[in-house]
Amino acid sequence: MSRRDLIILVVLIAFAIAFPYMGVPRYLLTSALVMFCFATVVTQWNLVFGVAGIFSLGQLAIFAIGAYTTAVMGRYLDMNVWYTFPIAGLAGVGLSLLVGLATLRMKGVYVALLTIAIAQMMFVLIQTDTACSELNRIINPQTCISFTGGSQGLGDFGSFGWREVLGGRDAVRGDYYTMLGLLVVGVLVSFFIINSRIGLGFKALRDNPELAASRGISQFKYQLIVFGVSAFLTAVAGSFYAAKFKAVGPGILGFDLLLLLIAMLVVGGLGRAWGPLLGALVITIFREGVDNIMTEGLQWRDVIFGGIVAAVMIFMPEGLTGTLDRLWNYILIKLGFAKARSSTVTAVAQDKKAND
Amino acid sequence: MNFFLQIIVSGLTLGAMYSLSAVGLSLVWGSFNMLNMAHGAIMTLGAYFVIIWFDSMGMTLWLAAPFALICAAIAGVILYFISAHWMLTKRAFDTNIMIATIGISIALQTGLLKAFGGEPYAQPLSLRSYSFMVNDVPVSYQRLVIWATALILMVGVGIFLSRTNFGRAVRATAQNRDAAQLMGVRVRRVYVAVLALASVLAAVSGIMLSSMKELMPLMGGEPLLKAFIVIILAGLGNVTGALYAAILVGLLEAAVQVLVGAQYGFPAILIFVILVLIWKPAGLFGRRTVARQ
Repeated sequence: MSRRDLIILVVLIAFAIAFPYMGVPRYLLTSALVMFCFATVVTQWNLVFGVAGIFSLGQLAIFAIGAYTTAVMGRYLDMNVWYTFPIAGLAGVGLSLLVGLATLRMKGVYVALLTIAIAQMMFVLIQTDTACSELNRIINPQTCISFTGGSQGLGDFGSFGWREVLGGRDAVRGDYYTMLGLLVVGVLVSFFIINSRIGLGFKALRDNPELAASRGISQFKYQLIVFGVSAFLTAVAGSFYAAKFKAVGPGILGFDLLLLLIAMLVVGGLGRAWGPLLGALVITIFREGVDNIMTEGLQWRDVIFGGIVAAVMIFMPEGLTGTLDRLWNYILIKLGFAKARSSTVTAVAQDKKAND
Repeated sequence: MNFFLQIIVSGLTLGAMYSLSAVGLSLVWGSFNMLNMAHGAIMTLGAYFVIIWFDSMGMTLWLAAPFALICAAIAGVILYFISAHWMLTKRAFDTNIMIATIGISIALQTGLLKAFGGEPYAQPLSLRSYSFMVNDVPVSYQRLVIWATALILMVGVGIFLSRTNFGRAVRATAQNRDAAQLMGVRVRRVYVAVLALASVLAAVSGIMLSSMKELMPLMGGEPLLKAFIVIILAGLGNVTGALYAAILVGLLEAAVQVLVGAQYGFPAILIFVILVLIWKPAGLFGRRTVARQ
């Protein structure tokens, strides 16, 4: 983590901590905390997709496992949601390791197709789950709710409990800081992995797989570590999401959420530490803007997002951070502060040359 | 025995529909490593074009269907020029174009949703309500139409690929792009044509699909996913393999649906495919070299 990154991070965190006291309306706090939640998922997804280069689209399945673990444990075992978070995380790790093992020998788009199919299978299984569950009969004998709640989803499993501690007015601040804490952990983990042996190992594996393997860098090991670490926080983000909204349904496996997260990921820039954060911020601001401008904008929103994702991939595949990085280096060189040695720009240029 | 017959009837129908969309996908991937996530949206678009020409423009069905296919081909050409055309020479083409087409696909589907609303339409091009009996198992004429269409189109694509000059150019490009280019094949023209052909196949499969069920803006998602499963099972880019795999998957899905329960069809084929891939990572009929860089 360079000094520049550290300074930016501290400033951002300070701003985020002060944000609820700047007299902003409450709905903005809610959008901000939803953004923190998705940004956590995207930072972890970036580790798998951008850093390790595994084209997995199964991140939402892990998110959903986390959310449903919290819902099921809170509802049927009457557990406090705070205790369910580590369990949800471990459930996510379990699923992710299974997926990781199944896709280990595959390449690129094979992984993408298989992981998207796994997420879709979960969606179908939950959606078609209609058999009345005995566990729900115990809670309320009058109703017929299936174990996963089917297409209606599950509720009644508790929440963070800030309403009791802080009172109804300030509860949203509690939720806000909880999500912020999660995001900070996610960002730190992401920076740590990118700059650690693991990040370097993946870089080596990408640049020259044979040499890296002959130097003892085990793709198997590193891939499983990244799958495990990123899955834990993704699943916890899922269960935080469930705890915040006090309900969970199969909609979280839907294509619109997938599109939203992909948009954050690619607009920010794949494989870069700041990419997911910048992407999440830009997309959230944009989303709020669209919703405010167009009253019936809900459906057009996805048309616009789809167009943005396509346009970014076609014309700016390095995303905003990549482009900004280039611009920053260009300015530094022009002003005479740096020689043309900057790692990212030359690495990308070399990469391009090698591929052409 | 009736069970068995029922599985064959519905399995072959599913297989025929999967093969139509899977062969198109496989052809596109084989030619230039483009995994077209917008294929499902084009299926839906093709089916809606029949409605547009028939209902809104007042054409007869016999005219509306060919017009819909022409429109689908144009959609394929447009898709090429808004996405692949710009990205072919850039790095990480296969992953980038996949994400780009996810975006295009969702934009197209939500656009359709906005234009036609969420409620289902009945596909006018359907013989679903007429059927005959084989051993007490009803077989609708629509199934016969689907089998015949799939058979004719598959044979047609086969002849096109193996006998015509253009088909040879497509296969040459798929085998070795640079060599084909050196032999005077205009590879970009091949790409456009392949995408147009695949879109026509997608539209046919969309029309068939909506003739068995109903027409909805988001109906393309599930068959697209199954077509993907079919082509991974076959090995990406293997067109004949995709045909066999489609029938295999259709029969398997029908068997599970009839014997175990309708909602387990998809999970069952998915688990089957994962097991096959752990055993043979390049698919049933795939070669290791298929995953080119």
